[in-house]
Amino acid sequence: MNVELQINNSISPSARFVTWAPSPCRIRVTNPSGATAPIVNVQITGVSVASGGAVVFRGNTTGAFSNSLTVPVPINGTSVPFFVAGRFGRPSVNNGDVRIEARNGTTLVGSVSVMVRVRKNAEALTPGERDRFVAAFAQLNNQGAGRFADFRSMHTNVSSPQAHGAPGFLPWHRAYLLDLERELQAIDPSVALPYWRFDQPAPKLFTLDFFGVSGPNGTIQFSNTNPLQFWVTDGVQGINRGPRNNWNPATQPGPTVITEAQTLLLGTQYPAFSGMEGNPHGTAHTRWNGFIRQIGTAAKDPLFFLLHCNVDRLWAKWQRQNGRFDPAHAASFDSNPGNPIGHNLVDTMWPWNGITGGTRPPTAPGGAMASSPCVSAPGPQPRVRSSLDYQGSVNALSREGFDYDDVRFA
Amino acid sequence: MSTKKKAAKTSKSARKPKGGAMRSTRAAMSVATSARSTVKERVAAMAEAPLAVCESDKDLQAMLNVLRNKEEPVEVRLAAMDSLATAAFSVIKFESCRNDYIATLREVAQDPDPKIRESALGLLAGEKDGFAQKKLLEGLQNREKALVPPEKALQLLSYDVHAEAYSVARDIVEKPPNADAKREALRLLAADATSAPLFEKLLRDKDELREIRQISASALHGLNPGKLQRHAREMLLDNSEYDDIQATCLTALTQFGDDEAVGKDEALLKSVDRFSAGKTSSKYKQSARRFLSKYGR
Repeated sequence: MNVELQINNSISPSARFVTWAPSPCRIRVTNPSGATAPIVNVQITGVSVASGGAVVFRGNTTGAFSNSLTVPVPINGTSVPFFVAGRFGRPSVNNGDVRIEARNGTTLVGSVSVMVRVRKNAEALTPGERDRFVAAFAQLNNQGAGRFADFRSMHTNVSSPQAHGAPGFLPWHRAYLLDLERELQAIDPSVALPYWRFDQPAPKLFTLDFFGVSGPNGTIQFSNTNPLQFWVTDGVQGINRGPRNNWNPATQPGPTVITEAQTLLLGTQYPAFSGMEGNPHGTAHTRWNGFIRQIGTAAKDPLFFLLHCNVDRLWAKWQRQNGRFDPAHAASFDSNPGNPIGHNLVDTMWPWNGITGGTRPPTAPGGAMASSPCVSAPGPQPRVRSSLDYQGSVNALSREGFDYDDVRFA
Repeated sequence: MSTKKKAAKTSKSARKPKGGAMRSTRAAMSVATSARSTVKERVAAMAEAPLAVCESDKDLQAMLNVLRNKEEPVEVRLAAMDSLATAAFSVIKFESCRNDYIATLREVAQDPDPKIRESALGLLAGEKDGFAQKKLLEGLQNREKALVPPEKALQLLSYDVHAEAYSVARDIVEKPPNADAKREALRLLAADATSAPLFEKLLRDKDELREIRQISASALHGLNPGKLQRHAREMLLDNSEYDDIQATCLTALTQFGDDEAVGKDEALLKSVDRFSAGKTSSKYKQSARRFLSKYGR
């Protein structure tokens, strides 16, 4: 007998990535030979390699997760649903480092390898994870003319009102990061965007092999094996980024940047919490000289995306702490009637909506939001509200396919 | 209540609360702009609520005045500039202040203090400000007018490269005032299509500094990636080439090479095999093994 395991309801190997949020899966018998009853019990378990990821299961949309699940499966080929999620605290290190096995009795009847792919602290990446990430980023930028050029064109002074200074700041940047991450995953599906904890020292991130070391003039130096040594934007070689006021980011937290604990205490209502656009967000930007210090040039520095990944993580953590995933809950967002276009829950977000002119910027670079083989949300033209329920904890169909290593599903 | 007691009470309420909680933006602004507070207190208060400067024209003008005031401590003025730069991220709220902000930055770009000048010019360069670009070019052409060192001027001009900057950068490559200036001139010239031959020459020059050769490889990748790939191959076949430059070549081929052509290139694969088995560093060996494994070796 053989069974087929469909992860994220897909037979495609490209869909075999899970996070803390439950992924809908299916199992069906593809070869009933040897079966003696119309329904067979199949036990599904996860087998992890050392230091690899781990998964848990449940049979329904609600209920507790367990390390294994017994599923009655008809031998006539009818699919049976179940759910798989990464075990919190056990993310993968490599693609396919967890095997989901299906057994009938002691007989292995099917298996697939999956990855528990979540966004991690840049400091926690293994050398292999680090190298895959910088290689994917360097390829995305390729000669400054690759797909990454669109992401730079999306974050400029002209387009800034779509993304800053109003309640849509956090949702817009969440979509922006997701779009970029999906493009990176199209190059190497094993990568997830890491985050830079700007309120902590980052001795591994600011090294020659990762995001570089600032030279005396504020130009970043890389090792000869780091693909980011080929970084070019607008024709100019390299990255300008120098810490201000004798700060050493490898050994010290960002000066005057408020801590994670302080950020989470800004308030339990979104309008109060969104004050984090100033400090820590803006303050983390302006601790540096160079590209990352200003809106128009910030996206020329790949560190910008790790900084924003941490901003997004802080929002996710605040959402989890206060139960703020539901767009219908007033405290989850700032629905002031005076919000500008692009900053209301029902608004579509530029540039993914393709709308130009009037209150929108004159061009819409990059086209629609990149799709994912694992999830359908947020769709090609995300709305502000799409970004809130990123784990699908209010509506399972809203799951966007990313998670943070330290933010639980429930 | 007497005026003295009232002032004391204000000061106490404005003090940063213990336990990680944040004080009100009003209280933070009060400390930030008060000459009676210590430098440390003012710097901390300015960072605490950067968007507060957008809340009223009075607050913005107060912060701009701190930045302009040469009598204020430099640390406080730099913190004021940081606070304004942070607020500038919040564009919608900041828009009404932008003209005053840019005008103030232009003013302090010629400040007697070099840190203030450099910081202000950095912000103006990021805004592609014509005034700053003119001043930076003038300083490169006439050292007496220089507001910042040549390497910084070149770096800031690279934010929005204009043709006038290329000729100045070429002159600096020919006769560099220091090694940093040569590096920055080359980084800027990476945007100039006519500079590809210069980068080819520097890349192949074994007497040139390693960092200059690394920049040249990167610049050539941007200008003419095919040429970089050809040079990288030849340099990997050259037994007398330096290991670190060979590692850069290997990275270029691994990341951006034509997989089909490289996979069939026996001479190259053998050479990388020798490189991986040679007396080079373990990191370079690992890089070579990764390259070979990509092509099934």
